[in-house]
Amino acid sequence: MAYTIFAASSMVVYIALGTLLHLQFGRTGMVNFGVVGFVGIGMYGFGILVSRYELPVVVALVLATLITTLLAAILGWLILDLDGEAVLVATLAFATIVYYLTVTQKDLTGGVAGLGGIPYPIDVGLDSALALLVILIFVALLFLGYAHRLGRVPYGRLLASIKDNEPLARSLGKSTFREKLIFFSITSGMMGLVGALYASTNQFLVPRMLAAGLTFTVWIALTLGGRAKVLGAVVGVLISVALFDLVIEPFLPVPRWVGALMPDLQLMFYGLILVTVILFRPLGLLGGRQKAQRS
Amino acid sequence: MIDAIVIGLIESAPIILAAVGFTLIYYLSGFINIAYAETLTVGAYVAVVFNTMLGWSFYASLFPVALLSGLFSVLTYLLVFRPAINRGVGPVEMIVLGVGLSFLLRHAVRVGFGVESYQIDLAGTSYLSVLGTGITSSQIVSLALVAMVAVGLYLLIYRTNQGGRIRALASNEPLALVSGIDPRKVAVLVWFLAGIVGGLAGAFTASFSFVDYEVGWDMILILIMIAIIGGIGSVRGAIIAGLAVGLVTAVVTLQTGSPIYAQVALLALFILTLRLKKTLPLKKILRLNLSGRSILKWGS
Amino acid sequence: MESTPSTRPAPRASLVLTDVVKSFGGRTVADIPHLKLGRYGVEGLIGPNGAGKTTVTKLITGAHSLDRGTISYHGPSGVIDLSQLPSHRIARAGVVKSNQVIQDFETLTIRDSLLLAAARPRDERFWYLGRSRTSAELVNDIDGYLEYFRFENPDRHALSAGEKKLLDIIRCLLVKPKFLLLDEPTAGLPQWETDQVKELVRQLGAEGEISILIIEHDLELMWSVCDYVHFMADGKLLLQGTPDEVRSDPTVIEKYLGGGHVEG
Repeated sequence: MAYTIFAASSMVVYIALGTLLHLQFGRTGMVNFGVVGFVGIGMYGFGILVSRYELPVVVALVLATLITTLLAAILGWLILDLDGEAVLVATLAFATIVYYLTVTQKDLTGGVAGLGGIPYPIDVGLDSALALLVILIFVALLFLGYAHRLGRVPYGRLLASIKDNEPLARSLGKSTFREKLIFFSITSGMMGLVGALYASTNQFLVPRMLAAGLTFTVWIALTLGGRAKVLGAVVGVLISVALFDLVIEPFLPVPRWVGALMPDLQLMFYGLILVTVILFRPLGLLGGRQKAQRS
Repeated sequence: MIDAIVIGLIESAPIILAAVGFTLIYYLSGFINIAYAETLTVGAYVAVVFNTMLGWSFYASLFPVALLSGLFSVLTYLLVFRPAINRGVGPVEMIVLGVGLSFLLRHAVRVGFGVESYQIDLAGTSYLSVLGTGITSSQIVSLALVAMVAVGLYLLIYRTNQGGRIRALASNEPLALVSGIDPRKVAVLVWFLAGIVGGLAGAFTASFSFVDYEVGWDMILILIMIAIIGGIGSVRGAIIAGLAVGLVTAVVTLQTGSPIYAQVALLALFILTLRLKKTLPLKKILRLNLSGRSILKWGS
Repeated sequence: MESTPSTRPAPRASLVLTDVVKSFGGRTVADIPHLKLGRYGVEGLIGPNGAGKTTVTKLITGAHSLDRGTISYHGPSGVIDLSQLPSHRIARAGVVKSNQVIQDFETLTIRDSLLLAAARPRDERFWYLGRSRTSAELVNDIDGYLEYFRFENPDRHALSAGEKKLLDIIRCLLVKPKFLLLDEPTAGLPQWETDQVKELVRQLGAEGEISILIIEHDLELMWSVCDYVHFMADGKLLLQGTPDEVRSDPTVIEKYLGGGHVEG
């Protein structure tokens, strides 16, 4: 049971992150390959604030989110008027730096030995993990609801115009850089919030959690499900994460030697699915066969 | 300081080589090929297999390295990337495609070879002192080889007819097609060359330090940065940027004792270079708007 | 025989170009010591291909940067130096240009595209998830334009090049510019649409609130709609005058109307 709650929590975390990435990339066209960097700042920020500085949980959550938002704003200010590839690489490099920081700043983060003693946000004894799952689901639903509503309001149209044709949007008087900066900072800050909650889920943090794998997993999920669709992250995560963690592994009997190779086979399968989906359904499983439009 | 520069030169040699190959693909096919990381890994492992398992000398093993890496690269192009391009897959999806392919291949290597680290056995190596720094004779030979390959590639691209066709296709596709250049043959050639160069880079990396199944993956971020700093498609630019990056990394790491400052310095250099380029455009850059549209195709 | 420009009251907004020079790769594409635009209701800018007409308009809206010189905008809130402003500020100040090459927002429907142009900055905030509070007047404008150009079912995406061209113009109008630059607005449009655009421009010119500069190769349209015409060739401003004056000038005939004119 505990494992199922943990697996479900992880899934919800990925759905939340995928939805935020959908907002950043699918709706606004910002290519953020540093997702794990923002998650990491929130995660370790929260961990450090509660275990080393012993701040109350809610205060630490808010502070961790604010710190992430601020750092995202600085990074965004430096790079968001550059080409898409530059944003991709800079965000990726940023995440790498965050990862290195968790390893090297041992006094603060515990380095590779890890950081423990992370409490649950709501301490109700044995049901704390479940309570956290409920919070996570609530947060994910919030993001999904926002993404859904965005399609019908002026701000959503503004973001779409930035994604489709930024110079044209500017020629109509839209402050595209400022809007990208604000939206990027806030959504990346939300990634920090999710990271903080994820810290509670894991209870014990190690730098390895901040390796680039998490960013790519989120991107892969979003690509599989369809980056422009609100439910893209949901579908993508369900397929890529749930398929293995909840269905195949516990229930499919495999010989022992295959079992040891499972993680690698899973990732190989993952890669294969991704290649196949992009070749045959580039808009994701929700996106249909239509080619992405090019002008 | 001098030793930092010397070490920087030596360590950046394979990276420069890889950056050149990576840039070639970007130049002609127009996308960031993340799976190029696996070409490096293939080169490293082929060298390891021939050297430590079949007993060949390192330099002899460079021949199968070049050949097999080149073929591997062409295969990825023919089986995965060309179909993707033909289907109109957008630039960002191409990157994700490369990530997927990289996952597939990397973990296949891990299944086959495990997580152990390997290194080339360089028999008959002597130790020398150059400018007060201790380096090995094999490092010098490798450096010389890398320089030769880089120069050879440069000459090929800028001084031969075949190179002229590559450049023509990369800078003005419609015109090149009308002049009778066969794009598929040129593409296969470019991917083959890039594969050779990448494989050699991987092999040289294996000769300098331990490598494991992630050797290419670890390098890909730096390669992308170099390619973009160097001007997205200029072989010259890639070489210069590669040298700069290698030197900066080595100097900063040695002076501060920790790789993190080198990472920060690299990112700062990256952002700085791009911001300067934005305000003083030095040459036409291939600009792909990553939300799916090509603004300027082929930099005309 | 002297024909005078029509005696409509001069619109408020005007643009003054001083010592403007722009080169691309060593070639000077625009060299204009002095040009004042907007004294008359509807002005035209004509010239052969490559004369620098579009370049001048792009210099005005900030799409290209000036090598030398200044462009100042004399609008209702005073004089603004456009050469210092980023492109979106220029549009906000009231100087808006339609596009020569078709530009569109692929994922927005026709109606959404127009709502975007008409949207108030107050509504475009990430926290505001309510309905758009665009003024009733602008909403009427949107419906009016949709009807005027006979857009059936505006809840679909624009399909034809002609639709996209018209949308481009309508969006510019919804931003309520003081100075409107139309870059080949009827190029590629079928006859009925061209006539509608012509009529619309005439109407706007008559209302006297917007200054309009049109670039066109359709000379019939120009002579009939413009109060004043500027002629450019080889990056330089060669002649200015009323339509009658310009069309009968020997230099214009030689460089443009006579042999060298290709497009229709």
